[in-house]
Amino acid sequence: MENTAKISINSSTKNLMEVRNFIEVNAKKYLSDSNIINQIILSVDEACTNIIKHTYKFDENHTIEIENLISKNQFIVKISYNGDEFDPNKRSIPDMKEYFAKYKVGGLGIPLMKKFMDKIDYLHTINNFNELTMVKYI
Amino acid sequence: MEEFNISEKTNNDVTILYLEGFLDAHTSVELEKSFEKLIGENKYKIIVNFEKLSYISSAGLGVFMAYIETIRNNSGDIKLCKMSDKIYNIFDMLGFPILFEIYKEEVEPIDKFN
Repeated sequence: MENTAKISINSSTKNLMEVRNFIEVNAKKYLSDSNIINQIILSVDEACTNIIKHTYKFDENHTIEIENLISKNQFIVKISYNGDEFDPNKRSIPDMKEYFAKYKVGGLGIPLMKKFMDKIDYLHTINNFNELTMVKYI
Repeated sequence: MEEFNISEKTNNDVTILYLEGFLDAHTSVELEKSFEKLIGENKYKIIVNFEKLSYISSAGLGVFMAYIETIRNNSGDIKLCKMSDKIYNIFDMLGFPILFEIYKEEVEPIDKFN
């Protein structure tokens, strides 16, 4: 596995643009399909937004590390941070007919991540370390 | 370049919001302010033009869900137009065309309102 790049950001939505740019630059080295690149960018944005919103409650004084790895047929984004457990795989996908009928708001980030990425793994350790790994097969 | 910008135009009692740039969890607050302002002024016939919008995340989608009920309860609507394929695919993937009218051109929703 090749370790391509890593960035650290403060837990502020101000930094989402930097995250998207980071993913875009790396994805363009290995992928040519702009739709796939856009799907990965959006998925990483949604993951970071959830961490900032749900784990850190918009407190900007935390660090989120985003690492991009490439294996033979996988474009991998690993997001590491400290904080309470938030497993996207344990969140149910909303029934969109009911969602619209009841004019619900929020909760659409994880459905987008699940639709766009091929695999999402989540690890939470006893010392509150979290690692979210998102994979796109290339 | 600004990360996100909104400009506004009126056509009779219809307000058209022109979105430009990147609509994410950071910039969606600006769009919320625009809807709050329009609702405060009892302006409920709203068209959103996406022609210059480059990016939308679920936070941006959430803004439309947050205001559509209030606006429709006041005999208004939020009609959407001029989306690129990239933006439309996000709306479509989640089923937003069930709830929102999405038009290719700006003139179509203006005619609908009038």
